[in-house]
Amino acid sequence: MNNNPLRKAFLFLVVAGAVGYGLGLGLDFLVAGNLNFSGSVASAFTLLFSFTAFFYGLYGYRGITRGLVWQVEGTLIGAFLITGIRAAMGATPIFGAFFFSEPAWVFGALSGVLSFIFGVGIMDDWIKWARGIDTPKYHEDEPGWEKYFSVSLDHKVIGIQYTVTALFLIAIGGTFALIFRTELAASQLQFLTTTFRLFNQTGPQLYNTLMSLHGILMIISILLGVSGIINYAVPFLVGAHDMAFPRMNAFAYWVAVPASVLMLMSLVLGGFDTGWTGYPPLSSRAPVGMQMFFLGVFTAGWSSILGALNVIATVLRMRAKGMTAMRLPIFVWAGIATSIIALTATQLIGLSFQLVMFQRLFGMGFFDATKGGNPVLFQHLFWFYSHPAVYVFVLPGLGIISELLPVFVRKPLFGYRWIAMSSLGIALVGFVVWAHHMFTSGMNEYLRVPFMYSTMLVAVPTGVKFFSWVATLWGGKIELPTPMLFVLGAIFIFLLGGITGPPNAMVAVDLHLHDTYWVVGHFHDTIFGGFVYPFFAAIYFWFPKATGRRMSELWGKVHFWLMTPSFLVLTFGMMFIGLRGMRRRIADYDVALGFDTTHLILTIAGYLIALSVLIFFINFFYSIKNGEKAEGNVWNSRSPEWLVPSPMHPHNYPVPFEVVGEPYDYGLPGSKYVEFAAVKGKKH
Amino acid sequence: MTHTHEKSSMLSQGVLIFIYLTVLTGLEFFVAITFNSVPLLVVMALVKAALVLYYYMHIYQLNAEHEGDHDSYEYKAGTNRIGLWLFLVSDSFVFGGLMVMRLNLLGMTRPHLNQNLGLFVTAVLLISSFFMNRGETQLRNGNRKGFLQNTMITIILGLFFLLGVVIVEWHTIAPIAEAILHLFGEPAGVEPLKPSSGVAGAAFFMMTGMHAFHVLTGLIFLAIVWVNGKRGLYDEKQYPVEAAAVYWHFVDVVWIFFYPALYLIGTAIG
Repeated sequence: MNNNPLRKAFLFLVVAGAVGYGLGLGLDFLVAGNLNFSGSVASAFTLLFSFTAFFYGLYGYRGITRGLVWQVEGTLIGAFLITGIRAAMGATPIFGAFFFSEPAWVFGALSGVLSFIFGVGIMDDWIKWARGIDTPKYHEDEPGWEKYFSVSLDHKVIGIQYTVTALFLIAIGGTFALIFRTELAASQLQFLTTTFRLFNQTGPQLYNTLMSLHGILMIISILLGVSGIINYAVPFLVGAHDMAFPRMNAFAYWVAVPASVLMLMSLVLGGFDTGWTGYPPLSSRAPVGMQMFFLGVFTAGWSSILGALNVIATVLRMRAKGMTAMRLPIFVWAGIATSIIALTATQLIGLSFQLVMFQRLFGMGFFDATKGGNPVLFQHLFWFYSHPAVYVFVLPGLGIISELLPVFVRKPLFGYRWIAMSSLGIALVGFVVWAHHMFTSGMNEYLRVPFMYSTMLVAVPTGVKFFSWVATLWGGKIELPTPMLFVLGAIFIFLLGGITGPPNAMVAVDLHLHDTYWVVGHFHDTIFGGFVYPFFAAIYFWFPKATGRRMSELWGKVHFWLMTPSFLVLTFGMMFIGLRGMRRRIADYDVALGFDTTHLILTIAGYLIALSVLIFFINFFYSIKNGEKAEGNVWNSRSPEWLVPSPMHPHNYPVPFEVVGEPYDYGLPGSKYVEFAAVKGKKH
Repeated sequence: MTHTHEKSSMLSQGVLIFIYLTVLTGLEFFVAITFNSVPLLVVMALVKAALVLYYYMHIYQLNAEHEGDHDSYEYKAGTNRIGLWLFLVSDSFVFGGLMVMRLNLLGMTRPHLNQNLGLFVTAVLLISSFFMNRGETQLRNGNRKGFLQNTMITIILGLFFLLGVVIVEWHTIAPIAEAILHLFGEPAGVEPLKPSSGVAGAAFFMMTGMHAFHVLTGLIFLAIVWVNGKRGLYDEKQYPVEAAAVYWHFVDVVWIFFYPALYLIGTAIG
């Protein structure tokens, strides 16, 4: 990417941001009658305009820019339409606290998402099919970086689009964490004070919004990261030329982009103070930002569902010859297990959020006790997805650990069948544990003990994985390049997450631990061990495959050795103060609790993690162009993708291969995993 | 009786299955207004759903082997079929969630609705499914005209169902709704359900609304298939018609469960 379009993009961002700010300020003034310089309306217009203009400067009016322009237009047209209808029907007030009324914002946001999907061009082929026009099977991609900014049907391009979007959201979610972490560094309110005003929120309200958005942005970025690695790797691991449904694959990615825009809109439109869980009754009263959050999650959910559907169909139908169930790479098994959850359970979080949206819009009393509704019902529907969701996050990560470990210890993977089945086991047990989040919610008490035992049961298939990893490491010739460091780090940190879990599962203990920093520490351990570390390992591992260049080993190691101790300090500190009574989700704490020093250390550790991730980002983007050339089998792997040159052919394997042996028989003389058709032909 | 591939017997099989469905629906209504046994209603709904899944939606086709060329139309249709069924599995979790919501909030009570009208709209949807199956079978038999006629009947019946729910049951156009409800024996002056009037109204509007949305998308799908079918696009490559039909039957299967849940089970409350 040369500097010129980027400079132009930033110029456009500033100019359009200023125009949007002025427009928003003016519109707000027309309705509210006073100039609110840090208000929601001006900020919302600034956000929409500058974001769109950035891509216009970078890329011109096509692909993502056209989608974003259409989204802005769709939002405004939809919102004005509803405003007009309300005015015609005599509803009062016509305008709301954020210029548009709440129904107008919701309908506008929905029409904006749909407009984006049409604008970006992902529907073009389907519209042609519906009109009876045939389209070519493949579309040629543009060469170079441009192909990543418009619709591509190549699973490898889509995988990278997902991954980079995930990294972008990690950066934003991490920045939000740093902001509220800074506020927590000392007791009392320092800068997010009650007199502070931004986006129509006071300091503590903004704290709540940032805390909630940190949660949901990280969750969406994890879902996108998971989809990124799965999309990138699964088709070539099973020997397919692409996913089973390439157009739907692209659709699943592109629908996540307007969803991310909605998430950011929720910040400026008054925010929301419920945490990412959005429990009613609080969520039925929060500002319009709540609705943007619900709609954003709902839209992102479709990305997850359709992506999962595609993965299952691909593995069922597109495997190479000889790729039987027990010769599938272990990461593919993990992808299947993840997809089963994402395909089915995701509908329930969409439904639960939809019900709250309708409760707010139409006064339907699902969770309103005054109308006979039941707030606990929301929690059941919500956690039916949101607990299995953590297995969506960690199963691919655990799959990556099992996939990479044998490569770097040069030994067969111990207990292949057990590992493959344990992924499915975790996925299935994961469906019957959701109510362990609700021990203190006032649900029926007889549910507590069964859910306690089912939760403990998760430890069994997870333990199987740990035994396999330890046995695989045992007596191996361990090499320690950056991906392997992250794999070992993942095992260690996920172990910490694992052993801090059972105390939460015990009803008697959980009643005390619930809503403390202990849970925050436990959760971050599981997600860093189960997703973040394997995600980084996968990026370091497959980066040469995608670009034909390596990321810097030195800076990769700096990244690891800076992040790991800081992270351990962070989560141990969280658990330490959690056990002593630090509540989660609060902007301030009593100085008499004596947590000031620990919180300061936690904040410093947080900044160090951010620094290490910044190093990763620089390494990542620098190495795309300037990394050391690596076009061959960098890691000496047996996997078929490494037996062809990097970067890969658009349709993966010019000559198909056949599976002739076990995938992980490293170090066994004469063993072979795959044989390419052409090579076979030459021999005979 | 097993599935068959002979031309005339496939048509008569469709008729036979429709007769079973009609009898079971009548029986459901009878059980509901006489001794209201919930387990019996559940069993009958399950049997109806199984009949539709097997004989109208041809679930057994998922198991068909398509060895050989991965680029053949047959193989790709098989992949598309798996994709469609996975989508239906996913979608049924939405409806499952709505059912959980209804059972949690209403338990063994139900919204106050006109049971005769409920039976009538259910019959309309079931008959539409019958014609859909007939149209699909005739296309497979090489009869494009018969396919177009039967699909058109399906679309008209589907529209009839949709308008029946939206106009009459939702009371969106009050004079028409009251006139039709009067025709079905509803006494005058009964306050209609509103979304905001309590959990019964909320559950009713949410469930019928989600179902009506799926009916609407199914109708759009069928209209596309009809227009393209008229131009002879599906004489050879018939998978799109199968997909539209399976989706339409799925909407019917959902209603097979929603109908007793909303109109038949338990005692009516305002």
